[in-house]
Amino acid sequence: MLSIVLVPVLGALALPTVGRTSTKLRNLLALGLVLYSLIATMVIAGPVIRGEPAATATILSHSLILQADGLALFMAFVSALICAIIVVYSFGYISHYENQGEYYLMVTLFFGAMMGLVFSANLVFLYTFWEITAITSWRLIGFFRQRQHVVRADKAFLVTFFGALLMLLGFIQVYHQYGSFDLTVIKQGLQNQPLSNLAVLLILAGILSKSATLPFHTWLPDAGVAPSPVTALLHAALLVKIGVYVFARLFIATFVVDDFWHTVVPVVAAASALTSAGAALVETDLKRIIAYSTISQIAFIFLGLAVGSPMGIAGAMLYIMMHGLAKGGLFLCAGIVEQNAKTKDVTQLGGLLKTMPITAVSFLLCSFSIMGIPPFGGFFGKYMVMIGAVQSGHLWVTLVFLVGAFMTIVYLMRVFNLVFLGEAKGAAAREGSPTMVGSVASLAALSLVAGILIYYPSQFLQSTMLQLPGVIK
Amino acid sequence: MLSLLLLLPLLIVMILNLPLGRFRSLGFWVALVLSLVQAYTVLFAPAALSGNHDVLGRLFSLGLATDNLSRVLLLSISIVTFASLLVGRQTIREEKQRINFANLVLIAMTGMNGTVLLTDLFSLYVFLEVSAVASFILIAMKRDLNALEGAFKYIVLSAVATILMLSSLAVLLLISGSTSFAAVGSAIKAEGRSPLVVFAVAMFLCGLFIKGGLVPFHGWLPGAYSAAPPAVSILLAGIITKVSGIYALIRLATSVLGPSNSINALLMIVGTISILVGALAALGQTDLKRMLAYSSISQVGYIILGLGCGTDLGIAGAIFHLFNHSIFKSLLFVNSAAIEEQLGTTDMSQMGGLGSRMPVTNVTSLIAFLSTAGLPPLSGFWSKLMIVVALWQSSHGGYAVLAVLASVLTLAYLLTMQRRVFFGILTDRWANVQEAGFGITLPATVLALITVGVGVAFPLMFNSFLLPVASFLK
Repeated sequence: MLSIVLVPVLGALALPTVGRTSTKLRNLLALGLVLYSLIATMVIAGPVIRGEPAATATILSHSLILQADGLALFMAFVSALICAIIVVYSFGYISHYENQGEYYLMVTLFFGAMMGLVFSANLVFLYTFWEITAITSWRLIGFFRQRQHVVRADKAFLVTFFGALLMLLGFIQVYHQYGSFDLTVIKQGLQNQPLSNLAVLLILAGILSKSATLPFHTWLPDAGVAPSPVTALLHAALLVKIGVYVFARLFIATFVVDDFWHTVVPVVAAASALTSAGAALVETDLKRIIAYSTISQIAFIFLGLAVGSPMGIAGAMLYIMMHGLAKGGLFLCAGIVEQNAKTKDVTQLGGLLKTMPITAVSFLLCSFSIMGIPPFGGFFGKYMVMIGAVQSGHLWVTLVFLVGAFMTIVYLMRVFNLVFLGEAKGAAAREGSPTMVGSVASLAALSLVAGILIYYPSQFLQSTMLQLPGVIK
Repeated sequence: MLSLLLLLPLLIVMILNLPLGRFRSLGFWVALVLSLVQAYTVLFAPAALSGNHDVLGRLFSLGLATDNLSRVLLLSISIVTFASLLVGRQTIREEKQRINFANLVLIAMTGMNGTVLLTDLFSLYVFLEVSAVASFILIAMKRDLNALEGAFKYIVLSAVATILMLSSLAVLLLISGSTSFAAVGSAIKAEGRSPLVVFAVAMFLCGLFIKGGLVPFHGWLPGAYSAAPPAVSILLAGIITKVSGIYALIRLATSVLGPSNSINALLMIVGTISILVGALAALGQTDLKRMLAYSSISQVGYIILGLGCGTDLGIAGAIFHLFNHSIFKSLLFVNSAAIEEQLGTTDMSQMGGLGSRMPVTNVTSLIAFLSTAGLPPLSGFWSKLMIVVALWQSSHGGYAVLAVLASVLTLAYLLTMQRRVFFGILTDRWANVQEAGFGITLPATVLALITVGVGVAFPLMFNSFLLPVASFLK
């Protein structure tokens, strides 16, 4: 289990050296590292699904503790799956830029840190991995090295670092209260003693900044200057989900928090959902629209987690997966469009359905999933979140989210209409390379398949939910 | 054996100045080996450093002693001297200057080793001055206007510090009849409230604040650091001011004054102001070395803040941060030496995209800057974490918040530095810049490895090495 984290982290450091002898070998090695973690996660998941207790592993004389419970395994599986597809897509996308060694190093290191974060049961190591993801995303956002790009990379780093420091103070307050950074130790000595509100507030600031939720959301649309697989990685699959995951890990799986927070967080999330959906309606940059859409969809996940009912939480976790698949697909489609049509401005695009049919269909299928149209995966996530919220008495907030869901349909249809339908403008763009198109098609297919086979993940999640202390039954 | 740490460098300086002809240029290698031997002894043969019956002690009745604190300092001294010597060899072209440089570094080393080992306030002061005099000359080595101005400012402020410390020593000698740490300590304890003692202690503290370059006594520091030749900046920023100001403060606070609320409060205020002023000033700099100098002021503030916290964890964190800071700040100055050497300027507005041309400098500076900003899993994170946890636990939450949020400023100015110098698009002007020579990349690599290694191995060291550092104070 230790190897799930160490293999990608250490392997990443070797990638630039390998790349000097053979770029092909380096690309395959990067994919291999990610696949290794994916397979190892599935191997560990077996016993947990059968109901055996969570596996743990320790090194460094008990200070680094990794724990694989249902929540962690689910998250790790989703991240590894999406990351593997993104790495395959990168083979085509990144092949004609400089600094490829750094690119694969950072992506794989990011992934390894993500795995570490998901499994770690010690707050200090959680923070460590959290910051490693920040460092790598700083390098990745500034990948093209134009001045404006680097400034925006700096902005993303500073905003998330600021949040992370507040979170660290929150962790120190936790240490002050319970005498340990170790979540397993804290859990044993907890006896339903609620976490102090100061700590919750500080940690929440870190989570909101990482997940780009109001009022810390502005770095995310700006980070769209990064290469497309990176924005997919950052926005859709992994980075913004880190915050959400830590929310689930701490406030649902470990600590008991005041009831007060079950009202505040949904309200903040609702505000975030509406403002960003509004922004997505008026933006003209393709990647910024999708980025704002991400902020808006993350709010749904927060709603599900914050209301605290098993249905809501399971829906939120499900939506992490569905949104990761679909939004990753949207960003990768945007990457193909950008690279072949040479612009991201939706007003200058049009009629691409004819020249890049597979990309267009994939974009449409992923959009359906985000919009929440059955039987796509996104529908079940959103539906369960809303049912969960209504059941725990948040009727008005849920109505606001319904408006947000409606806006999602409007702005995604607008984008599809502008980019893929209508008259072709400018030079005819070609379809992307086979690996790139294959990646988006498989993400779109997965969104659909996951929706049809929804029974399995939701069953797994609901049984996991019942073991968590923060769930309101 | 202990006295050899003082005697050997002195002896070598004497021999080097005999008319030996071209053998004198060997002095550089001798000094280099000496720094390595010192590092080796501290790490692998600590028993050799515990002997009390040594020649110098018996001859001059000097009290020499080592504890964990002085061992940490001896190690940093040897590492930074090693880096500075190698960089000096690369950057100082003239043979005669190079010999002078090696000589002065050895004298500074004597001064620093003495400061760290002695258990007597007056002797501590004498050896402070030895390293200070060596550094005046080192700063002025280029002999241009800037260098002379930097050295002059340092001399003037050092003279003020000298007067303050000497007067204070006179008063303390009057009261206690001796200047050994133990005698002065007990005299202060006995007469703690008398205005004269308070006055003497305050004067001594001010003298050390000047030496350590703490706000509001930092005026000399940016000028001296930036005007000095690259190799000297490393030595000055990495270790000389740390030993003569910060180590002496830690020693004074822990071994002489003992726990005292008013002094702790003073230290915490001075530390916090230094952190904030240093970081804000660094944000506005366009010269790389001046930015690093202000950053140094800010980082020293963390050390003083941890010291002022007064708990075991806080002091251990302060000492750990002192060590880490001497490593990563030396590394940043080694990087700036590489840039100054290859580009001939330290003006950041003229640079850009050097990362692709100078890969070793780029990667090592990334490590150093992330460690300075306190990002895990590098060494700087752990020492700052210890300091902040200590502050939080001793219910100084306000200081903890300030200290943590100042890290955002640190990250901000270092990101600016990265953006202007390394990250970004290569400008045509520097399209043919080469990586600096081995004499610069080797110390950079060594220092970067230490920064990463200490950071990664921290959980292993915490209980076995770091906590005992503080508990010797009990």
